[in-house]
Amino acid sequence: MPFESSPASPVTRINILQGQARVSAGPRVEFSTVLGSCVATCLFDPEIEVGGMNHFLLAEPPPNTHSGDFDEHYGVYLMELLINEMLAHGAAKSRMRAHLYGGANLNSGFARIGTKNAEFARSFLASERITVVREDLGGINARRVDFRPARGQVRCRTVENTLAPEPKPITRPAVSRGDVELF
Amino acid sequence: MDKTTRILTVDDSASMRALLNHALTSQGFDVAQAEDGEVALEWLALNEVDVVITDINMPRLDGFGLIEKLRQGNRHRDRPILVLTTESSEEKKARARQAGATGWIVKPFDPEKLVAAVRRVSH
Repeated sequence: MPFESSPASPVTRINILQGQARVSAGPRVEFSTVLGSCVATCLFDPEIEVGGMNHFLLAEPPPNTHSGDFDEHYGVYLMELLINEMLAHGAAKSRMRAHLYGGANLNSGFARIGTKNAEFARSFLASERITVVREDLGGINARRVDFRPARGQVRCRTVENTLAPEPKPITRPAVSRGDVELF
Repeated sequence: MDKTTRILTVDDSASMRALLNHALTSQGFDVAQAEDGEVALEWLALNEVDVVITDINMPRLDGFGLIEKLRQGNRHRDRPILVLTTESSEEKKARARQAGATGWIVKPFDPEKLVAAVRRVSH
């Protein structure tokens, strides 16, 4: 579906940062993100007109992961978070349609993180049986993605690589994750 | 020496199962894995286990349904069941507690805290 710009209705733009996943049914909401090697997944359920976007930095923690290394920057967590948020908004997995963007290898000298991220996203969605209707992955250029969650409309443009956020986890907050509450 | 603690993890995400398997087997636990509540029930009907760790959102039978079914039967009425989920709502947590869960852990999990919780509830 082409991306309609409707100047009559002001848009509430929400930037999706590394490590975030957001879902909305707001007709005037637009999610935006800028990607280098990171990958953004856009999910849309056309029947109830709800959509969501995540933005992950790395696919999966290495197998010899140390305590605390598994955090909100990993796709394995952000994919699940996005799908669960969609389900919580009434979406059905069988109706969800996905778009994948990003996964560029901006610096040829580094490990091909972008390629790994793209492969992870594709295989995750395949194992979840969620259809990918459009993808723009790989290459050497940064991308800017604008997504209208309530309409499932996406616009993806190439941008200056310097605009992409550094592919580096921001310092984890002192508040620790994975706290256990025994009943 | 204690005999090895046996754990069943229930999660529909293959990546999450791999992470859990690594986090737990590297600490010496005996780990079995199921991909949803139905598979877990079938497995638990035939196998002994010390602790169950389950996700909430899963196809066929979700975590709430699994806990309720296990609490209805005799075999697993007192089995420690830890919920491991991306859900952070108080309402879902209360529902898990009411269904009979032993504890609640929000993903992403910290392997050390998870292992400590398993040791606590299995002794």
